[in-house]
Amino acid sequence: MSQKYSLNVDSRFERLAEIADFVADAACACGLNNAQTYDVQMAVDEACTNVIEHAYRGKPDGTLDIVCERRGKEFVVTIQDYGAQFDPREIKLPKTSDPLSKRSIGGLGLFFMRKLMDRVEFDFAPGRGNRLTMAKKIKT
Amino acid sequence: MITPQISIVTPQGRLDAASARSLEAELQQRIAAGETRLIVDFESTRYVGSNGLRVLLVALKQVQQQGGALKLCCLAPRLKEILAMAGFDRVFEIFDTREQAEKSFE
Repeated sequence: MSQKYSLNVDSRFERLAEIADFVADAACACGLNNAQTYDVQMAVDEACTNVIEHAYRGKPDGTLDIVCERRGKEFVVTIQDYGAQFDPREIKLPKTSDPLSKRSIGGLGLFFMRKLMDRVEFDFAPGRGNRLTMAKKIKT
Repeated sequence: MITPQISIVTPQGRLDAASARSLEAELQQRIAAGETRLIVDFESTRYVGSNGLRVLLVALKQVQQQGGALKLCCLAPRLKEILAMAGFDRVFEIFDTREQAEKSFE
């Protein structure tokens, strides 16, 4: 039987703590260990921060639909928003080897999402908004 | 010349995009007041997201321009790894204890 956990929140940074708790509960129920749960929580935190900042441009009345589920040996998180298109190709990833004077400030969120998850996929359709799917292999 | 005091900042709980704003305000206030020898103690911090890291990076650049330093201490093991993942371990001085961080200013 597949377990599915859903959360619907508005686009405010103050909601991030609630999202983190929701992800932790779902991840624990799906059999992820503490380290894996931490990684998924961080990836979701970064993803939702990006949605609020970029897709909704800081407007608090947007909606985020977050679904967590176990699919076979993967823990899959889907984040749906209805804001402006987010194109990951427009984000310049940070060069982590750069010295301080050259370090850029942006792109860190996306960098962590890709580092912490096994799969990160962006999908956008007009009228439906952005759908982000992230998966992490469950290690037992 | 009097050596400026060491200031210690202790973020609590989660340092996400919401709480990064108050850390930013606190650091900016301290830097504006001439406090350029800073330690951020993560003893009570269980999570740091990229917005929190950005706030630290901006503050570090500012204090260094003024001849000061911003050092980090007491990071949980996974937090330390996350910082290393982004190359922040080469940018920040990181100490296991607050005492070590304080001593490094001597």
